[in-house]
Amino acid sequence: MSNSLIANARVTGLGFVDRLVRDYSALVVCLIGLFLVVFIVGMATAPNFLTIFNFKTIIRDAALVGIMAIGLTFVTLSGNFFLLSMKETAALCIICFATSMSSGYGFEISFLLTMGVAIIAGAAQGALIGLGGNPIVVTLGAAGLLFGLGSWWSDNLVVSFRRPHGAEWLGTGSFLGLPNITIAFILIAISAECVLRYTNFGRQVYLIGANRAAGKATGHENFSMAIKVCIIASICSAFVAIAFSAQVSSAHVNYFSSEFGSSGDMTIMVIATVMVGGNSIMGGFGSTLRTSLGAIFISTVDNMMVLHGFNSGPRVLAVGLMIVFSIIVFALVRRGSRAQE
Amino acid sequence: MERFAVLGLVGLALTLCIIAGEIDLSIGSNAALAAVIVVRFTDSLGAVTALLIAVAISTTIGIIQGYFIAYLRVRAIVLTVGTLMLLRGVALFAAEEKTVMLTDFRVPDFITTKMFGYFSPASILVIFMFILVGIFMNYTRFGREIYAIGGARKEALAAGVNLKRPMIIVFAISGLCAGLGGVIIGLRSGTAQALGLQYLLLAGTVAAFIGGVSILGGKGGVIGAAIGTLTVNFLNTGLVFNVTPAFMVQLYLGVLLMVVIMFQTGSRIFDENQRRRQIISDVDARRGPLLARRQTGPP
Repeated sequence: MSNSLIANARVTGLGFVDRLVRDYSALVVCLIGLFLVVFIVGMATAPNFLTIFNFKTIIRDAALVGIMAIGLTFVTLSGNFFLLSMKETAALCIICFATSMSSGYGFEISFLLTMGVAIIAGAAQGALIGLGGNPIVVTLGAAGLLFGLGSWWSDNLVVSFRRPHGAEWLGTGSFLGLPNITIAFILIAISAECVLRYTNFGRQVYLIGANRAAGKATGHENFSMAIKVCIIASICSAFVAIAFSAQVSSAHVNYFSSEFGSSGDMTIMVIATVMVGGNSIMGGFGSTLRTSLGAIFISTVDNMMVLHGFNSGPRVLAVGLMIVFSIIVFALVRRGSRAQE
Repeated sequence: MERFAVLGLVGLALTLCIIAGEIDLSIGSNAALAAVIVVRFTDSLGAVTALLIAVAISTTIGIIQGYFIAYLRVRAIVLTVGTLMLLRGVALFAAEEKTVMLTDFRVPDFITTKMFGYFSPASILVIFMFILVGIFMNYTRFGREIYAIGGARKEALAAGVNLKRPMIIVFAISGLCAGLGGVIIGLRSGTAQALGLQYLLLAGTVAAFIGGVSILGGKGGVIGAAIGTLTVNFLNTGLVFNVTPAFMVQLYLGVLLMVVIMFQTGSRIFDENQRRRQIISDVDARRGPLLARRQTGPP
């Protein structure tokens, strides 16, 4: 199996270049090639594409989806497919944050409260998944539950809080000319990659994702792993919710379903990012670095299409095509490596 | 009973998918696409032609999905999450990012008329579909193949089942049901939105699980799907009569699905423990005399 081969490469600590050549080559070449093509086309055809301001815009647009996708990457890498409840967790968290802010608690307390809600939601889903529930169905149910809770709590109204609220630095502030949310994205991307690559926990994620039976035999149950990765994903959702709420000083459960981006669905955008980045949905293969690059790639394509004046239809279509293309390339590569053995 | 139609179709489609051990996440997008197409073309081509075109397109999409899932050997969730997005884009494209509307309201009138006192044309169609699929699943080889690839895929493949055939059939039926559901919704309300109908997935899944499918595949049936649909439907109707807001319905559906999953997972763990205990006690029973002899053995 190619997956176990990759796990071997991970565990025995082959050099980065070796691994690149052995396992990543076809996909990396594909992704970089595509990126270059998009880049050159953008440079050649779209005005204002090659300006620093536009690059900042691209990365800023990628940031929110990217942070959530990094959280989801942990779940995917550990072999638990993906959570269909990403946007609903964010919806509940944004309501929690805004309600707490509007009733006069400071930023810190609201932040901690929101994180607490996210951890509970993540742990509950993780426990059900870890006990053997199918991740898709569990999180589909959890999605309805969390969204309903959020709507119930806010009575389906917009919750807003007044402007000097102590959270502006996160939403609209900037540092050295970069928006803070971009900096947060970069920091989270780097730290997540470090966690996956250099800590015990990161290696366990890969091990359980690549070969669950081997993980179990060496004493790493999927139960605790599922809880941990679901909590990570939920915390990332909560962070995005807080950042978004701080930006617009208000909250509504539909912020992540109807008014967000072109597709009208944050969850699917996040899953798209994970897939376009070239992570194996079956687990054990991929990295958060790829996810971040996937986010920037989708954002670049989207940006280029906006500059060309496309409507949302073709843009959603483009993202859909990217996902399906990535699935097909991935399946063919995997099949090729299986045939060699 | 009136709302039974669409929910029944989606529940039936998802039941089949879960029996085959897969799940079709793109069912909402597929239905939305069908709704947009039928509403858009009814004025120019007439309702029947538009309906046939929409259902044919949805079924073709299902067939293509099934083919790719079997050919690429990927899990259906992986591919259908991609097609979810793709079909949404196509639907937006077809609707030109607007809410499309009918101008001729004779068609919605026809759809909602009661024919034999109680049944509308849509409900009759759904009941017909249920009977047809039920016969298909229980009395044909293809139906048994679907059960086989869901319950024990490796064994089924080793026994000579071609993965492509049942997979294509399942997803073709799924596409057909999604298309019919979308057409019914589109024609009944006279409007269609490209990004709508996403709630169908949750409602359909709840219906399928209440109907007794197992997430491991290979279990469940059409009668279960009908019962599950009716349950969800009664829940819906009851809540609507009590003037519950729409989001509460979603909350209850979510809770219901979680409870069913918890129950299934719990019973599976209980079964496994029981089996393990059985094995241990068997071994003990066999080893018991041996141990006794060793303890009181020759000095």
